[in-house]
Amino acid sequence: MSYQDALEVRQSSASAWGSKTELRNLKVVSKLIDTSTCIGCKACEVACQEWNDLHIVPTTQTGTYQTMPSLDANYWNLIQFREREIGPDFAWLLRKDGCMHCGDPGCLKACPAPGAIVQYQNGIVDVNPDNCIGCKMCETGCPFDIPRYSDQTGKMAKCTLCVDRGQVGLEPACVKSCPTGCLEFGDKTDLVARANIRVEQLRQNGFPQAALYDPPGVGGTTVITVLAHGDHPEWYGLPKDPHVPDGVRFWKNIARPLGALAIAGAFFSMVGHYLSFGPKKPKEGAETPKGEERG
Amino acid sequence: MTRMAAVEQNGMGDAAMARARKTEDVVVGDEIVRERLSARLVHWSVALTFFICLFTGLPIWTPYLGFLASLFGGLHVCRVLHPWAGVAFAAASLLMFAQWASQMLLTRADREFITPRGMLKYFQYRNEDADIGKYNGGQKMLFWAAALGALGLLLSGIVMWLPQPVFGQWLRQVSYILHDTAFSLFFAMIIGHIYLGTAAEPGTFRSIVRGTVTKSWARLHHPRWYRDVTGEQPRS
Repeated sequence: MSYQDALEVRQSSASAWGSKTELRNLKVVSKLIDTSTCIGCKACEVACQEWNDLHIVPTTQTGTYQTMPSLDANYWNLIQFREREIGPDFAWLLRKDGCMHCGDPGCLKACPAPGAIVQYQNGIVDVNPDNCIGCKMCETGCPFDIPRYSDQTGKMAKCTLCVDRGQVGLEPACVKSCPTGCLEFGDKTDLVARANIRVEQLRQNGFPQAALYDPPGVGGTTVITVLAHGDHPEWYGLPKDPHVPDGVRFWKNIARPLGALAIAGAFFSMVGHYLSFGPKKPKEGAETPKGEERG
Repeated sequence: MTRMAAVEQNGMGDAAMARARKTEDVVVGDEIVRERLSARLVHWSVALTFFICLFTGLPIWTPYLGFLASLFGGLHVCRVLHPWAGVAFAAASLLMFAQWASQMLLTRADREFITPRGMLKYFQYRNEDADIGKYNGGQKMLFWAAALGALGLLLSGIVMWLPQPVFGQWLRQVSYILHDTAFSLFFAMIIGHIYLGTAAEPGTFRSIVRGTVTKSWARLHHPRWYRDVTGEQPRS
């Protein structure tokens, strides 16, 4: 895979030239998560904290093995533990929660700060703290509830898919640390092929509903997930058909242009009115008291 | 009071402006006091906070107006200033509401004024015989729309200000749409307000700066108010 081009930007938030800045067609990377072989060891969480030098934040015990109740500005990678009775069986559904790096990122769509959220040519969606203004609009754009606001920095934070490691040809820290091999990193086409083989294995071994989670509603995701119960992604806390929220699309694509039209309409009607009617004045011959011209 | 008497009372100062500090609707020489000092101060505090909100908000609204952020020191500063300026705008708007609400109730003539036919007559300068009091129907609607707009901007702004877990994703989406729409309509309305108060109707702007208008201005734009203040009977 060609990692030298990792930092070439494909899309940028609040760009005046549409949002696409794509020039070259470069390979898209991917991280494959096979939830069926995850043992919940949390090595990836530790690796993530260490590589990104994130401060450990106090946690809340919620009665599960889960490290934190949810993601945090200081915690970008969280193994979620879910217990579920499925027919006569009991299942422990583990899922690695973190940024999915969408093909059509809702955070980037909602972001008003130029260049604060960028999507690189290789598919990684990254927050650029220099440009981030901490308005939290990306929170609302995200269908996966990922970006978190940091009170310490006044900016948003989330998984970068270790873009700094990718740049020098290394796999993300979480992938590096995974002891079961349930995490893999590489070219997306290759990984989708591998994931499909794994899905087929699961289907033949008692999980006929197994599927690959690469939701088309958000343009596919860079982080793809093999789910043993692929017909019920919500059992894992994943939205069934994620897409950029309708409200955000309506806001950006319809409400805003119409609003701009209303403002321009008001301005040009007033100009037109002045050019055709001019100022309103007392009728000729009307009695004009002294001091009249002072207005 | 005669002009001479007022001048004597006010020394070297402007007699009409002196009366306009505390009183309204009185004749001083050739002028009529229209807005007392406190009313003008409240109006301009709403206007000032509105423009701070506008110019800190526009570069966040669209990158095409990003250059406006330089007025304040960049987009980061705008993002910090905007919500606080919004709170100040809401506070000033509340004062304005308290000050003018009782004078802004629509009369039957005002209702006629704000019909499409009435507005057309107004903009074509064909409404000379209209029964218009101190404020016309359009001004009164502007007042109520500004109050409603300020409330909508405040409430949606608060939701946008706090982190998502406080109000949830759905309410935040609604707030973005509401804040955007309310802003657009508010700004469009203010463009009309500024135009009518300056270029379209000469002699109007002084009413919110000096606080006074000329008699002929009052007779032209607010005939019923003019008669009430001066006691003159309508000319046949």
